[in-house]
Amino acid sequence: MSSRLRVIYRQLVGSSRQALVFVLCVSLSLTTLTAFSGFARSVRQSLLADARTLHAADIILGSGSPFNPHLQGAVAREAAAGRIESTRIHTFFSVVRTVDADASLLARLKVVEPAYPFYGEVVLLSGRTLAGVLTQGSIVVEQLLLDRLGLAVGDLLQVGFTTLRIVDVVTAEPDRPVNMFAFGPRVFVSHQDLDALGLIEKGSRIRYRLLIKVTDPQELAPLAAHFKTFADPERERVDTYRTARSGVRRFLDNFIFFLKLVGIFILVLAGMGIQSTLGALLREKRQTIAVMKTLGATSRYVQRYFMKLTALMGGIGILLGVAVGLGLQWLLYRLLADFLPPSLHFQWAPSGVLEGIAVGVVVLILFTLLPLHQLRYLRPVMIFRRDQPVHQKRWPAWLSAAALLLFFFGLTAWHMADAEVGLYLVAGVGGVILISASFSQLSLWVLKRLTVRRLAVRQAVRGLFRPGNATRPVMITLTTSLAVIFAIFLIEANLDATFVRSFPADAPNLFFVDIQPDQRDGFARLVDQAVTFYPVIRARVTAVNDEAIDRERQQRTRGDSLARTMNLTYRETLLDTERLISGERLYRSDWQEPQVSVLDEVLEMHPMKVGDRLRFRIQGVPLTARISSIRTRVGENLSPFFYFVFPTDVLGNAPQTVFTALRVPPDAVADLQTRLVTAYPNVSVIDLSTTLRVLARLMQRLSNILRSFTALSIVAGVLILTSAIWATRAQRMTEAVYYKVLGARRRFVLQVFTMENLLIAAMSGILALLMAHLCAGVVCHLVFDIRYQAFALASGGLVLGNALLVVTTGLLASWAILKKKPVTYLREQTDG
Amino acid sequence: MTLLRAQDLTKTYTVDHQIIKVLDGVSLTVATGEFVVITGSSGSGKTTLLTLLSGLDHPTAGEIWIDGREISSASEDALAPLRNRTIGFVFQSFHLVPAMTALENIMFPAELLKRRDAEERARALLATVGLSARADNLPSQLSGGEKQRVALCRAMINQPKLLFADEPTGNLDSKNGQLVLDQLLAMKAAHAVTLVLVTHNPEIAAAADRVVTLSDGRLRHQAAD
Ligand SMILES: Nc1ncnc2c1ncn2[C@@H]1O[C@H](COP(=O)(O)OP(=O)(O)OP(=O)(O)O)[C@@H](O)[C@H]1O
Ligand SMILES: [Mg+2]
Repeated sequence: MSSRLRVIYRQLVGSSRQALVFVLCVSLSLTTLTAFSGFARSVRQSLLADARTLHAADIILGSGSPFNPHLQGAVAREAAAGRIESTRIHTFFSVVRTVDADASLLARLKVVEPAYPFYGEVVLLSGRTLAGVLTQGSIVVEQLLLDRLGLAVGDLLQVGFTTLRIVDVVTAEPDRPVNMFAFGPRVFVSHQDLDALGLIEKGSRIRYRLLIKVTDPQELAPLAAHFKTFADPERERVDTYRTARSGVRRFLDNFIFFLKLVGIFILVLAGMGIQSTLGALLREKRQTIAVMKTLGATSRYVQRYFMKLTALMGGIGILLGVAVGLGLQWLLYRLLADFLPPSLHFQWAPSGVLEGIAVGVVVLILFTLLPLHQLRYLRPVMIFRRDQPVHQKRWPAWLSAAALLLFFFGLTAWHMADAEVGLYLVAGVGGVILISASFSQLSLWVLKRLTVRRLAVRQAVRGLFRPGNATRPVMITLTTSLAVIFAIFLIEANLDATFVRSFPADAPNLFFVDIQPDQRDGFARLVDQAVTFYPVIRARVTAVNDEAIDRERQQRTRGDSLARTMNLTYRETLLDTERLISGERLYRSDWQEPQVSVLDEVLEMHPMKVGDRLRFRIQGVPLTARISSIRTRVGENLSPFFYFVFPTDVLGNAPQTVFTALRVPPDAVADLQTRLVTAYPNVSVIDLSTTLRVLARLMQRLSNILRSFTALSIVAGVLILTSAIWATRAQRMTEAVYYKVLGARRRFVLQVFTMENLLIAAMSGILALLMAHLCAGVVCHLVFDIRYQAFALASGGLVLGNALLVVTTGLLASWAILKKKPVTYLREQTDG
Repeated sequence: MTLLRAQDLTKTYTVDHQIIKVLDGVSLTVATGEFVVITGSSGSGKTTLLTLLSGLDHPTAGEIWIDGREISSASEDALAPLRNRTIGFVFQSFHLVPAMTALENIMFPAELLKRRDAEERARALLATVGLSARADNLPSQLSGGEKQRVALCRAMINQPKLLFADEPTGNLDSKNGQLVLDQLLAMKAAHAVTLVLVTHNPEIAAAADRVVTLSDGRLRHQAAD
């Protein structure tokens, strides 16, 4: 080792704690991004590819009735111009029978044209293609149907008013989304047999779909928008494979968004840690720097000297960060292996390593430039007066702040592939920093003018204004980073509450729709368990307080809309899972007119309150009801819920069906379905067993990952906190020694330091929590589109935990001094 | 020949909007080879004057020439070579760089100049103060007197024309103080260096060519006997 290196090494050892925190901050800054920038990219790509396959098309038009002629015309024109290909699909539920009518079964019919599917593949047992076998008079069915009806390939099946021959067995179908709400075995029918089925005339519930493949992918969005102008917004949907979002897709999108957000924030937090640790380290070296300058070293020399030191520490940090990041990435793939397509697996991509190193270097440069630049303002007189205020110019700080915001914006925009989101985030963070700064300024101003009687407290307050004590920057750093961490914590808790806890192990897995009111008793006997029946009356909301519902506007909202057909029910009591938030009882006894209790989620679609009048249309019949109460659901779960609940005497006689949900052991499901179909062929069963199991497991894993990354950001916070508190250590040491020299007991010194740190922790913690709630609420509402819960208890815990941490760190940082005899320290101090 | 000349130096500090005038029109001329002692009561501004004369701080008003150059408003970086080559410094509390060994501390100014013989010179200087054996010790492993002798070597390594010393024996007992003083005077004689020294110590003052006294921000000149 050369002499220079040895000296640098000794400088590091002399400030080993700062150096360690610095190295950790650098490595943390790139760990998370390295870990999932590659991961997120490949998952997103596979998701998008999957999404197209999931819908078998680029654009999907859907309706419950035939498409209006304008829309059909628009599609025909584009097809004629060669810009798209389209294919029609009709799906029904219908009972199919063996020819001898011995056995029957509710099946999901899908009538397709040869062009189906545009993406993905219908896999047949024989290995042939669907278009090849599905000719007029033939059908392809699921194995389940053969098993239930005791049939084989080659047999005939009665479908609607015609008899068709089973020619093959289908094993996979692209646009059958994760089994969600898929019930009854699938039957593929050729479009040539559509009329022969005679089901359309019969008025069966039918779903019309038009799948569209776009010739030029660039045209996707414009074409979708074009079709939308022809669609009747009340009944016709226009989706692209990108916009159509299943629940799982939505969660995965949110999941990746959140991970990236956390990654970027961890990077910024770590960056702040880098800056403040280096600042503290250089403050510790001020004496050395002043001596160097006295001996004739130029600012450039000093800067270069400490740049080398920074580069050495940074280099170690970057290597460590990339290594840990790759390890984390490997772990991510391992943890999610079951849920990812097999083609996705961990790879040592040199580009990923290079990206990590590049990010690390940029972060290192950006966040160390200011403290290194400020070295030039250190004057040699500081040899005589250690606490001499340093007169630094303001523009480098502003410039550095601007560069950081720009970098942050670029990073966000790049990783989120969305400049707008980047802009919002930068504005948000900028706002948080500004508020932190003004609040710190204000509270310090107030504290300085406060007169305190108790000596320990007074000394603690004085301590905040110690010369050279960077209380204000420390508070800004602390408040900002706490706000970010608290916000991450709150967002994670909300995602968890909304998505993960809604899949408990005992959630109902079978849903029964369209039970006739007179079948209730028989049904209950058949399923042989306690059943809660929910009467369902289908209706539309037409007006609130005589103001007609704006269907256009309702449908543009991201959440649920008042424009769709609603399921009403009637009962006299609140459910266990409900609570009133407005109104004293479910219904008012003093009102004569019809009443309705509304779930609070409806208020998000349209403002309304107790006493307002809602107009409904139930199968053509109008009904006006006054809102008697507002309910909310306690905890999210899969149990059935109704937006509108009426007293029995209002709706008891309306045309209705009955709905119920049951928990049935998975191995009993098939048997129950068979018995049910025989007894009540009109009842539809929705089997969510597999879906639920898979989802619950997926959610659990994802939530664990979210939690780990949240924990990482907390680690980042602890690092910053440590570095920030440590930054004030040198001054504190002197003070502690003087207290002791002057005869103060250790207890007094402890009190002063604890009070001082407590002041900082309380001020920054409370403000940070307020800002965090604001930010998390906005993110949950605007980005994730989920309901926001405040988690009051956990919030208090955050502030308390922070206070505890700050105080402990502060005490640890001062512990060494307390243990030493003052003489030892006084002797050491003249060391330099 | 004049090596150092200060003209009407004023230095004020502003504390809580109150202006404190520490130096008020101080003028001083030091000839090459001279040994000038500055005395004065505590708080009279001796250290302040020294920092101005050596260019470590800028005066509020007034001019300072060192070796024919006006330095009162020179930039930090313009002063660096002057501090490195023309001026040497010895402080009351030593101010060795804690991360450097005795030898490295001494070599440092020469290394800034990229002198090939830095180590050779440093070892030679260490030998003259009798500390060859402690070359590889860190400052924390040296006694106060030893530290000050190392600091003296460091000040001398680039053979400055002008040596400033602020209470160089203030932190030492009389025996060690005497040793440091002897070696300081020996160096001065050997290298014909001009010495400006701040002290309360009448014994040191007695050895000076000239003693000036600061009081009330002004300088009283008196000839040494
Ligand atoms: N940065 C400063 N701000 C305000 N006042 C200062 C500052 N530096 C020095 N002073 C004041 O200037 C006066 C002279 O200080 P200086 O350190 O030069 O005295 P000194 O003669 O060296 O004293 P001593 O013999 O005790 O070392 C003192 O009254 C001191 O309080
Ligand atoms: Mg002094």
